[in-house]
Amino acid sequence: MRCVVEFRSFKEIEVYPTRDLSYDFLGIHFENPFILAAAPSTDNVDMVRRAFDMGWAGAILKTTSVEGTRVDLCYPMMSTFDHEGKKLFGMGNIDLISEHHIDKVEYNVRMLKKEFPEKMVAASIMAGRKEDWQSLVQRLEEAGADLIECSFSCPQGNIGEDPGKMLAQSVSATELTARWVKEATKKIPVSIKITPHVTDIVEVAKAVKRSGCDALTASNSIQALMGIDIRTFSPYPSLGGRSTYSGMTGPAIKPITLRTIAEIARNVDIPILGTGGASTWGDSVEFMSVGAGVVQFCTVVMHYGFRVIDDLKSGMSHYLQEMKFSSPVEIIGRALPNIVTHDDLPRRTIRSHIDEELCIACDLCVVACRDGGHMAIDQRPSRIPSVDHERCVGCGLCQHVCPVDGCISMQVVP
Amino acid sequence: MNVQQARIESERCLQCFDAPCTAACPTHIDVTKFIGMIRSGNILGAAEVVKTSNALANTCGSVCPQEIFCQSVCTRAQQDSPIQIRELHRFATQYERERGYSIPKVFPKKVGKVAVIGAGPSGLGCAYELAKFGYDVYVYDSGRPGGVPRNSIPSFRLADDELDLDTKFLSQFFALKRQTIDAKSFKNIVQSHGATFVAIGLGLDRSLGIPGENLKGVVPVLTFLEKAKAKPRSMKIGKKVVIVGGGNVSLDAAATAKRLGAESVILIYRRSEKEMRVWKSELEEARAQGVEIRFLTNPVKVVGKSRVTGIKCRNTRLSKKKDKTGRPIPVEVQGSDFVLEANAVIVAIGQKIKADWLGGIKRTSAGYIKVDDDFQTSLPGVFAGGDVIAGEGTVVQSVAHGKHAAQAIHEFLSAK
Repeated sequence: MRCVVEFRSFKEIEVYPTRDLSYDFLGIHFENPFILAAAPSTDNVDMVRRAFDMGWAGAILKTTSVEGTRVDLCYPMMSTFDHEGKKLFGMGNIDLISEHHIDKVEYNVRMLKKEFPEKMVAASIMAGRKEDWQSLVQRLEEAGADLIECSFSCPQGNIGEDPGKMLAQSVSATELTARWVKEATKKIPVSIKITPHVTDIVEVAKAVKRSGCDALTASNSIQALMGIDIRTFSPYPSLGGRSTYSGMTGPAIKPITLRTIAEIARNVDIPILGTGGASTWGDSVEFMSVGAGVVQFCTVVMHYGFRVIDDLKSGMSHYLQEMKFSSPVEIIGRALPNIVTHDDLPRRTIRSHIDEELCIACDLCVVACRDGGHMAIDQRPSRIPSVDHERCVGCGLCQHVCPVDGCISMQVVP
Repeated sequence: MNVQQARIESERCLQCFDAPCTAACPTHIDVTKFIGMIRSGNILGAAEVVKTSNALANTCGSVCPQEIFCQSVCTRAQQDSPIQIRELHRFATQYERERGYSIPKVFPKKVGKVAVIGAGPSGLGCAYELAKFGYDVYVYDSGRPGGVPRNSIPSFRLADDELDLDTKFLSQFFALKRQTIDAKSFKNIVQSHGATFVAIGLGLDRSLGIPGENLKGVVPVLTFLEKAKAKPRSMKIGKKVVIVGGGNVSLDAAATAKRLGAESVILIYRRSEKEMRVWKSELEEARAQGVEIRFLTNPVKVVGKSRVTGIKCRNTRLSKKKDKTGRPIPVEVQGSDFVLEANAVIVAIGQKIKADWLGGIKRTSAGYIKVDDDFQTSLPGVFAGGDVIAGEGTVVQSVAHGKHAAQAIHEFLSAK
């Protein structure tokens, strides 16, 4: 019967209305805040088509360069940083830019804009010489790209070169190059993709601002050594026993990105495209609350597929409803006033409290406090621990090792 | 499950692509999607996914035998243990219940009237899906909507308010007509609607066909369960109860009899445990409650003067021959007769169609309504689904019949 045989062709009729998540950012209309980062997922036009059909608001096509730029890939290029049973907690790659000829990328931009005029189609570029940067921008703008993203920060495969091999590690080189790019555009906005591997991210952001470029993409992957096989001493990913540094992405780098975005937003008035470690709608809210205007995704898509857009949209819709926000725009920058210097933090007396009803008697808080805190939590015969408020300083460690939601709370002593 | 337990369980889900759980669910709930939403904290979104696919989401969250559907094919079981899918489904719908309901959208109207006869799982599943297509749907039933879950699934398995949540949610999608159907009104309904979906279930208990069956105290199982559910307080059951059966309904009756205070409850079944078509969990539950199950036992005669005092049984053995259901045929062992004492005998050996107004609609050899692959009966424009075409099944299978028949009805009406 059809319920058995026709399952795969069966398409549910939507029962719940889709909330409008659209808004304008950088003069571009986004149907929602979720776009695909420059990555393998955006290198193939059929994949981008599928992503657009499924509801992604836009895509930055995988980085391209001028003809003659050698793209000398090595395989395998992927590795992961697994932690306590979670695969892909961090993902490393030694991929390089797109192998497609610039003619092909230009054609892809043209096709996608023709088929999906309502989607944001951006191109990512990387070059060396001024004329190369400029010719790339001109060709891609001509082809219809809504935005140009310049990779000043791809860390993969770099080892032992001069500091500043990544453009965005040099304030002056960043400003100069960004200026070349901006000069060459007619109308469309330019975003400079930066790296968090700098002494002062604010200086880099200011340089981009001075160049006249429109936005920052913050931030690129984290240069990392993904691991070592402890029997063969081969680093990961192992290419016949050898390897090089990877660019790490995924959930593991989210806090680094959050800090980078926040630090830029607190100090420089420039729009930010957030990228680097967001996997869920909740992560997106966090990115936006510290200043990102839209959020780019890569690793979660490479792990679970484009289908994650369903939850991104649905989760964001329910969140907006719960918060009584009329648009995602209302999230942007909401957390920034709450980020202050250490000097400006409130000084209060707080103590740990254990909810004995919720406690499952694992005594993880006991050992954490005993060996990493202030020896302030005592074991009891019942195994339900008790906090000695004389010794407890309120550091909060116990709260974070406790496996039960809401069991340990930090309470202010009046 | 609380929020944390649900999150931990959802994090175990591998998020398989083209997932077997979704294929195994008769209503094809997108399981990985709703579990992914629980994982991200979008629990209201998860409830929407469940309710989009399954018209009786709350009911199925309580009674769905996950051991034969989604959970039985969970990929994770190959690594350790399957994801508790039904519990997560239930968690999502319960959460929605506490946090407030999402308002469904208004479906664009299509011209066309469709009648659904019977407001049980299959009828409601069909009406919901037809409404999504935009049809005007009229659901006819002589009583409150809910069908078998309303009338005879014991309240300890399905709380009334769970079903009420579903019927209340669904009531916005169609007009409910309280009407008892007869041959004349059936004809009128068929003529005045573009298509008709017959989802009347069964409703008539099969009888044993043995002497003494009309003695006082011999009760057909549906009568017993319906009465026990409607008026549990005034219900009296003897101290010793024998149930003849072997399906899930007989286990429901056994558990109900225990709850009503019967001291001994014996279930007799003519084949062995292996052939029993029951959910293992319910069988274990019945045993744990002290229900005695006698396999390879056939009733021969109900004993008593005006009231039942016992039931004469005969042992059976399984022959090598198999019947149409693929199970070995039980053969009586001569000279093995014995009598079980009983104040009540509950007959739970299956049901047949109660309605007498189906006229010339063709039947299967088992007596159910015969339908083609598109759920259409021998009467053009008249479709059928649920127990009435397949015999007693699960709630979710019936919902799925209705849902997929609606698709066929839509195609039928579109082609007109």
